[in-house]
Amino acid sequence: MSAQPTAFAAPRVSPTQRWWNRYRAGIFFVLPAMLLYLIFVGYPFIQTIYFSLTDWNGVRPTKNFIGLANYQEMIRDPLLWTSLRNNVTWVIVGTVAPMAIGLLLAMLLWRQPRGFNLFRTIFFMPQVLSAVVIGIIWSWIYNPIFGNLNKLLKAIGLGDFARGWLGDPSVALYAILVAAIWAEVGFVFVVFLAGLQNVSKDLLEAATIDGANSWQRFKDVTVPQLSNVINVVTALLLIGGFNVFDIVFVMTGGGPANATEVIATLTYKEAFTQNRVGYASALSLVMTVVALVASVAFIRLREQREG
Amino acid sequence: MQRIRSVGMMVAAIALLCSLMVGPLLGQARAQEQVELRVWDQFTVPEESAVADAIYAAFTEANPNVTIVREAFSTEQMRDTVNTAISSGSGPDVIFYDAGPGYAGVLADAGFLLPLTDYAAEYGWDERVSPPALEATSLNGVLFGMPLQTDLIGMYANKTLLDQEGLTVPTTLDEMVAFCGAAAEKGYIPIAFANNPGWSAFHQFSMTANQNIGPEAMRDLLVNKNGRWDTPELTEAISAYFETMRDAGCFSPDVNAIPYDDGTAIFYTGQALLNTTGSWIAGEIATNMPDQEVVFVPFPLIKDGNESTWISGVGSAYYINAATEHPDEAAAFVDSLFSQGAVEQWLGEAKYFVPVEFDASAIEIDPVTAQIVTVLQEAGDSGAQFGYNIDVMAPPAFNEMMQNGFQAMLNGDKTAEQQAADLQAAWEEGMPAADATPTS
Repeated sequence: MSAQPTAFAAPRVSPTQRWWNRYRAGIFFVLPAMLLYLIFVGYPFIQTIYFSLTDWNGVRPTKNFIGLANYQEMIRDPLLWTSLRNNVTWVIVGTVAPMAIGLLLAMLLWRQPRGFNLFRTIFFMPQVLSAVVIGIIWSWIYNPIFGNLNKLLKAIGLGDFARGWLGDPSVALYAILVAAIWAEVGFVFVVFLAGLQNVSKDLLEAATIDGANSWQRFKDVTVPQLSNVINVVTALLLIGGFNVFDIVFVMTGGGPANATEVIATLTYKEAFTQNRVGYASALSLVMTVVALVASVAFIRLREQREG
Repeated sequence: MQRIRSVGMMVAAIALLCSLMVGPLLGQARAQEQVELRVWDQFTVPEESAVADAIYAAFTEANPNVTIVREAFSTEQMRDTVNTAISSGSGPDVIFYDAGPGYAGVLADAGFLLPLTDYAAEYGWDERVSPPALEATSLNGVLFGMPLQTDLIGMYANKTLLDQEGLTVPTTLDEMVAFCGAAAEKGYIPIAFANNPGWSAFHQFSMTANQNIGPEAMRDLLVNKNGRWDTPELTEAISAYFETMRDAGCFSPDVNAIPYDDGTAIFYTGQALLNTTGSWIAGEIATNMPDQEVVFVPFPLIKDGNESTWISGVGSAYYINAATEHPDEAAAFVDSLFSQGAVEQWLGEAKYFVPVEFDASAIEIDPVTAQIVTVLQEAGDSGAQFGYNIDVMAPPAFNEMMQNGFQAMLNGDKTAEQQAADLQAAWEEGMPAADATPTS
């Protein structure tokens, strides 16, 4: 007796249907955010690319297509190179200094000494202030007539160093950087402090037993365990450094004589003062590309070193 | 047939009567239509804001069908916002905005502002408003704005302190150099010039440049585009203020680091003896220096043969959006801002020098404001010509070069010849974009 095999075929599902069934819920969850992103980031970004190829003044209904003329002009524009140089200075000093100071402060408070909460609040406080407020506060400190910095220098016998900090082209950028670093340290400090909570104390004890001194424990045990935090903080500071605008605008407006001009202030002036939205769009795209390339390059470099 | 004709006549007569009655009724209904006017202005200082509120309220009281929705912006906010708002069609009906070619001129050039020629004739603005002020808010002979704010630029001197120190107000550049030395020796900052972020240098250059070539030549250069900025006369004008006076120690060596408001503060507090700036601080002088005698005079003569020259210019003006649905109401509103009552409030409380004919005797004003009113009114009566405030008539590229170039000169990094050449280059660069330069 032979058994007749029963034909029991599963319903056929096309690959597309299968894909849809699998990802449908996810797509619906992502869709609102994706739509917002496309409307408020994607569309303006594409518009900016389009504007950068025109001579639009921001008002006229007509936008004449001029190809890459804005980009060609940009290469010849000495102000762009001045601004780019200032941005690079800002990125280097404005990244390294807050990282170093923030990490140092985090290390000092890691063991939660007495007054931990007070110090943590004090160090973090500048971070809650807006860049405009920070700019105003530091403009008062630097004021050559009634500012406390010059008064302090004179009081301790260093009157020769007193100057118009924001009016001297050789120091104005660094004067603004000091204000920005003061504000940024709080953020870096808090992130490092959180990162330090995950550093293995066992490894540190093992290193101590193996005879490592404080510097070696810090360099070879603590810092490697903070690498992810360092990556994130550095990337944020790098991007922030290329995008810096508000504090420079409030304190000097890019002056004196363009000495503190950065790409963002230059872009603002071209768009809103010179009415050259096409050129300003090209500038802002260059700024985006530079910030993106620098951040990606840094993260890749870190990954390679760790890999 | 006769009957039909008489009925037809009756119907026609009734129709005629109805039409005669309905016309005025419709007109009345239209007059009573509720209108909302959105007004953007720049009165963010509390005193000025209160005056604007009061004047706007007087208009809505007289026109109960009109509601004013007022939004005040700082100058920077306005410049960042207005172009996008107007060009996108979502802007206000009436705007109080900067009159320069880089500001309202750009909007007028793009067709976003309503030409006011017909309303000027209807309301008699042509006769009431000073012609140079109307010229500053016109484009190619077409009026677009009603100028509210005339500025007079010159030199304030603290006469009380000068008398106390045995000094006199300098009237020539040589006297100024000597004055600066003497004032510095006595521990004063001679001139409260403050140039952070850099626009106050525009006014210093306007004073020396107008004086050296004369207002007529300056008008020819700014309005008719005849002339150059790198001539020996204008180079000398640059050098007089930014080299000679810098080297004579006439202002703080940190001049580029001192914000404008701090500069005026050192004048108010008696740390500085002179202040080369404009009429917009007259009210603050009255408030901050009640016990001091302050005089306002033209800038000293920088060479023999020059004539004493006041500088004047229009700051901001009222414009009407070309896309407004209520142009008549907007024009009536603008007109109300220039009535005798409104002008008394603008001048008496907000210290705005409105360039219209008005009876100044009805207004209680402080001595410095009175001096300025006298200068403006006498010039109006005698037809005397003021010098031109360059930055409000120059293209943005030129202003940018004034700002950065004069800062560099004050730091000793640039010569007058270089700056004159750069100004000429910036003028030529800005010319294609200067179609919007107000011309008559």
